Amino acid sequence: MVDSAKLSHTAALILQTIDQGFSYGFDIMDETGLPSGTVYPALRRMEREGLISSEWESEKKATAEQRPPRKYYRITRAGSEVLELSQKRYPLLIRLVAKSRR
Amino acid sequence: MQENLKRPLSVIACSRLIGGVALLVPAEQREEWKQEWLAEIWHRWQFLHHAGIWDWLEACRLVWNCLGAFPDAAWHFSSDHPVQNRIREYVRSPWTCLGFLGAALLVLTYVSSGLPATRALFGFGANHGPGRMLYIWRHPISGGGDKGLPSDVAPAWAQHSALLDSVSAFTVSYQPGFAGSSHPPALLIHSDPSLFRVLRVAPALGAFPSQGIVLSDEIWRSFFQRDHRIIGSKVQIGADSYVIAAVLPRGFRFLSREPAIYLVTPYLGLKPTMVMARAKPGISQSKMDKELTRIAEVSTYYFFQSELRYSYVDDEIHTPLSIFAVAVFACGFLAFAASRIRIRRLRGAFQPGSRSAMVRRGAFFFAKTALALAFVFTAALEWLRPESAILYGSRDPASGPFLLWLYILGAMGVFFWSLADQRARCRVCLRLLCFPVRIGCPGCLLLDWSGTELLCTEGHGFLHVPHLAPSWEEESGQWISLDESWKELFAEHR
Repeated sequence: MVDSAKLSHTAALILQTIDQGFSYGFDIMDETGLPSGTVYPALRRMEREGLISSEWESEKKATAEQRPPRKYYRITRAGSEVLELSQKRYPLLIRLVAKSRR
Repeated sequence: MQENLKRPLSVIACSRLIGGVALLVPAEQREEWKQEWLAEIWHRWQFLHHAGIWDWLEACRLVWNCLGAFPDAAWHFSSDHPVQNRIREYVRSPWTCLGFLGAALLVLTYVSSGLPATRALFGFGANHGPGRMLYIWRHPISGGGDKGLPSDVAPAWAQHSALLDSVSAFTVSYQPGFAGSSHPPALLIHSDPSLFRVLRVAPALGAFPSQGIVLSDEIWRSFFQRDHRIIGSKVQIGADSYVIAAVLPRGFRFLSREPAIYLVTPYLGLKPTMVMARAKPGISQSKMDKELTRIAEVSTYYFFQSELRYSYVDDEIHTPLSIFAVAVFACGFLAFAASRIRIRRLRGAFQPGSRSAMVRRGAFFFAKTALALAFVFTAALEWLRPESAILYGSRDPASGPFLLWLYILGAMGVFFWSLADQRARCRVCLRLLCFPVRIGCPGCLLLDWSGTELLCTEGHGFLHVPHLAPSWEEESGQWISLDESWKELFAEHR
């Protein structure tokens, strides 16, 4: 697991966005304003560190709606703990994402 | 989203892009990675289309977002363990070491604009005609410091010497604000008209004058923008104006690359001058000294023995080579003496069974040492430009002690690094050894020597390096070969 002190502001912002319920790549890009070249590698790294987990949506449901299935990202328990520490380190983090949701 | 829409060009382009970039992703993750990106593209297009805001701007934005697939795929590529292992293997390879040294030489060539000082050293004198060009100056008996010669000595030598082919006097100064411009001070050579006859050079443009200005190719290009019409125009030098009469050919060097302007006048004034001459072939220095001293006496100047000093330009230019050879020989001897290489062991290494491995190791050692020494030699030469030492007097530190010390330190560093690097490599495949493991117990020196063991990833053997070597041990590291039976194990874990 990564040390929260080592989590960059960008990574913490992405983690916060996932925690707020934005669960797939392009959605996170829209919310954070970060480019895809930053968001996707960050997602891979955080998944490898166990801060988030990914899950493919049900193939049946997607086929029924005649669309390709999407991959959703969720924050893990370890990710929540790290996020909590990151929020103390970056106090404006909550307001950044909350603001974008309004 | 059931309706069957025709995919726009941007979505097709994005899909193709993802398909191409996916080749970077390791095969076992490739399909999933592609699926995720293609699903995101599809959903973005469909969402915007149904929201009624799909336009060319959104299409461009989608393509832009898809470019992020490159860093994402690169992340997958670099995180792949086989790729990481391969990179580590490349770093350990002996070819990487040689390639790095070769690249350093190439960078040096680029930074120095083609190694001009080194090329001059090896190419000097090729197109300078018969006879040896020499520089004459006066080293006073007392007081020290090199001095110029009285201004009327050079004309007397030119007129009466039977041993000199041609003689020319010159002075060196800096000319600020050349031609009334903000050009930085240019090095000006004030000489008599015979200078170019001594140097055996033909003008690239115009003709050498008996009075006027001759420009170097560099200043003609940079300051006059290669204007052919400058021949015949006037420029201000000090209080007087002179006609530009000629431009020197590209690559011409007068003891250094620096002189920009040559002011040619028949008379140089009363200031002490430096003298360039061209001796006829086969003339000894003592014979020439006798003759020049005698002619100077006729002109009322008496020079004591060894007061006149002669410097043959080709010898001076090649001085760095001899200095370097001395430094390399001395440092090589010291390094090998200090590294405790035993002749007995070397003889053993040349046994028929291990001869080819020994030859390979020797070739690698000499190749990397030669490349590193070539780098030290050229870097110091290009940095100091020792050819300019003659122009500013024989005591210039660049041609003497400083260059020698620089070469000694450089050569010493190269030899010790080469030997240390050689010891840190596998004796068979020459790859750098890795996975250092500490063994033994530091507190139990009498029972077991503590040390570090380094392993060859190919399974050829390992190096045992004791932390505290006893005085009766001949070498600090001990190579332990592994037999064929180990290879299978190493191949499995690679």
